[in-house]
Amino acid sequence: MLTKTKNVAFLFLVVLLLAALAACGGQTTTTEPAANTGGTTTDAPAQPAAPTTAPTAPTARKVATFIWTQEFDNLNPMYTNMWFSAITQQIWNASAWNFDVDNNPNPVLVTEIPSPENGGISPDGRTITIKLRDDIKWSDGTPITSADFIFSYEMLMNPANTVNSTYPYSLITEISAPDERTVVTTFEEPFIPWVANLWGFVLPKHILEPVFEAEGSLDTAPWNLAPTVSAGPYVFAEWESGSYARFVRNENYYGTPAKIDEIFFRFVPDDAAQVAALRTGTGDLGTFISQADIPTLEQAGIEVFAVVSGYDEGWYIYFGKEAHPALADKRVRQAIAMCFDRFSINRDLLLGLTQPAVTFWDNTPYANPNLAPWPYDPASANALLDQAGWIDSNGDGVRDKDGVELILKHGTTTRAIRQDTQAVAQQNLAGCGIRLEPVGFASNVFFQSYGGGGPMPTGQLDIGQWSASEAFPDPDSSRWLCSEIPTDQYPDGVNDQKICDEELDRLFRLQATQIDFEERQKTFWRIGEIMYDNVYWLGVWQDLDTWAISARMENVKISGASPFYSIAEWDIKQ
Amino acid sequence: MTRYVIRRLLQSIPLLFVVSLILFVLLNNIGDPLTMMGGRNPTRPEDRERLARQLGLDQPILMQYVYWLVGNDWTMIDVDGDGEPETPGRRKGVLRGDFGISILTRGKPALDIIWERIPNTLLLMIPAQIVILVLGLGVGIYSALRQYSWVDNAVTTLSFVGFSMPIFLIALLSIYLFSVLFQRWGLPYLPANGMFDPQVGKTAAQIAKHMILPIFAIAFIDVARYSRYVRSAMLEVMSQDYIRTAKAKGLRRVTIIMVHALRNASLPIITLVGLDLPFLLAGAVVTERIFAWPGMGRLFLDHLERSDGAVVMGIVILLAVAVILSQILTDIVYAVFDPRIRYD
Repeated sequence: MLTKTKNVAFLFLVVLLLAALAACGGQTTTTEPAANTGGTTTDAPAQPAAPTTAPTAPTARKVATFIWTQEFDNLNPMYTNMWFSAITQQIWNASAWNFDVDNNPNPVLVTEIPSPENGGISPDGRTITIKLRDDIKWSDGTPITSADFIFSYEMLMNPANTVNSTYPYSLITEISAPDERTVVTTFEEPFIPWVANLWGFVLPKHILEPVFEAEGSLDTAPWNLAPTVSAGPYVFAEWESGSYARFVRNENYYGTPAKIDEIFFRFVPDDAAQVAALRTGTGDLGTFISQADIPTLEQAGIEVFAVVSGYDEGWYIYFGKEAHPALADKRVRQAIAMCFDRFSINRDLLLGLTQPAVTFWDNTPYANPNLAPWPYDPASANALLDQAGWIDSNGDGVRDKDGVELILKHGTTTRAIRQDTQAVAQQNLAGCGIRLEPVGFASNVFFQSYGGGGPMPTGQLDIGQWSASEAFPDPDSSRWLCSEIPTDQYPDGVNDQKICDEELDRLFRLQATQIDFEERQKTFWRIGEIMYDNVYWLGVWQDLDTWAISARMENVKISGASPFYSIAEWDIKQ
Repeated sequence: MTRYVIRRLLQSIPLLFVVSLILFVLLNNIGDPLTMMGGRNPTRPEDRERLARQLGLDQPILMQYVYWLVGNDWTMIDVDGDGEPETPGRRKGVLRGDFGISILTRGKPALDIIWERIPNTLLLMIPAQIVILVLGLGVGIYSALRQYSWVDNAVTTLSFVGFSMPIFLIALLSIYLFSVLFQRWGLPYLPANGMFDPQVGKTAAQIAKHMILPIFAIAFIDVARYSRYVRSAMLEVMSQDYIRTAKAKGLRRVTIIMVHALRNASLPIITLVGLDLPFLLAGAVVTERIFAWPGMGRLFLDHLERSDGAVVMGIVILLAVAVILSQILTDIVYAVFDPRIRYD
């Protein structure tokens, strides 16, 4: 009996030991915010079994907690394109410019947005010159200069660094810094979508250059997970893997100091748990809120609003040689558009918070204002199908032609709203004699390239459904270029639909060279018209980003292109 | 026994090789890590081609496995894409303790990422397992000794409810009841997610408070499972001749149950515990996700979703080792509990 008692005691000791180990905070990635004086932002790394953020002053600190359903992968903008990490950069890092609530560019590190009028853009559109502000500095007080921009370019282009993307820097033929405040970039051809792609971040040369020289690469630099200096209104303080990351006010910020003292990002991967966190007041902000949860949150006094982010959910029709023969006929595609009740999807599944997308560029100046969504009109759809020769000759409820049944494979990811849409579409199209066979895929499988055996580019589907935005707020896209059709020789092409429309191709190439806004806008209106008439892409809903904000937050403004552009002005009601 | 353990350990080495090869090939076929590197947009073709080369993903699958196993520091690789290998490889390979660098969490080796989460998972799973064992044994024995009583019937009904309920439902219901509604009713409520409140700090009290709901969710189903096994095993043993003999000898009821019956009924329970042991390390994927508990299950899911081979392979190899060791341990415990079993 004594031995058994000892065993039980031993087990409890093990548990207690584990609790103590876990409470030690050994896995917290922390950094001393370099120049945060005044004691408010220099909390030491967590001590064993001690609060990580002990109150330092009797006055109430303003602390906000944001709920992120995905944890950052890392914090070095060179190594991540993850949305949750990229938008967090706007809190602590800085870009040359960001975008305001109307998605217009707003100077941050530069004195003004480059334009042909101020000499920032050369007449041929190949050279873009930025002029830096005189007062910008890193949080440790070191001035931000053109050398930081040149260093950022060099690190992106150095093959020793496995960066996520070298675009658009790989298109630069010449880069120079005539002085500490000027950066000149020259492209081989006019580079029109620069505003959405260029200088989205800058790296601190004085911190990272020694690391690169010592290690030969930045791939494993500790800075990637714990940036020691920042250029934004906040500085990184700590990151507890799987739990949270903390940012504190940058006391050396060159702009208006942030009003909130600390921001916590808590990683809560489950959507329902995110809603619970917002309802219980654990979180002040959440995003990608499911439409079904919006009434519950609003009842709890949480404001929910949608922001235009350039994304539109749509059906991508496949045109490769494996495609269903019916899809080659424009009338069949138009019939599908009229037979699919996208209005009920928006009204019933999306609670009327959005509407069917008409073009790929809805809610931007590049959406053709003369187009309206295809109506839900099964009678006209059936007439078109009859006209195209697709009739139900064998009485099985499915139209056929030349012995081929009109059965289409529709694929999308396993996201609930997409699965629901598949069910509605299946029922709608059945009413027109079209059988839709829905298939669901995990995201990392569904979005694979042709080379990786992705279901869409390899012709396993007739219709694919997803949401995309190429370079919002710029409308540029290479998705429909003939040269982007993936093949065995070019397995990474992005034209998953394998569409090659010569006029469309010509217009897409033309817009990429048009410096004049109005001319480019007209080109996109024509592109939209062609895509609409031919139903190359059928918009299902405008995929707005949904945000939930607690009642104690105030002065919150969120932009679709750079959500935290005004974070320094956000406040908490006392 | 020592010889048996050594023999089992040696046998597990080729097994681990085979398992690792199968898992490596499977992982390479269930997702493309480059697909998700473009964020919300597709990865650009030129970036895809460059990254595949830099990360060694353009190599044949068997060569990738060799690099993963023994490293590539014995060869030169072509990182600049000019067709000429010019840079010495840096990877040491799993056999030398290098599981590679995560393509997501840059700056930290895969093994470090995994080690960070193990204490969190054990912290959740060991107490959960203790609760399961104590309640499962208690309920199962009580139920067996009072077969067909109203308590037994009630326990049986509850067990079937526990069996039938998916864990996510229990987890979400418990959050709604003990966190959302309790707060609304002005009652003391439990935290809905996380391992501690970061604004308070990582204290033992905070961790204990945050453990209650996830442990409740994990234990609810498994107590039902264990109690059924214990009940069934105890019922079988209690009808044996030696129990009748023990009763005839006038032994105390507690002695009969705890020494004679439970010891003999314990073999199927040991099997069950042995099968569950590796899951102490694997964590509870659904529970950790819903309660935002920073454990191994969540780590596995987060990195699997983005096909991060280094971390996912590290976790599955660790689990494969845990399965092998737990089976050996189970065999040893069998011998301890049942003197008829000899391995030499």
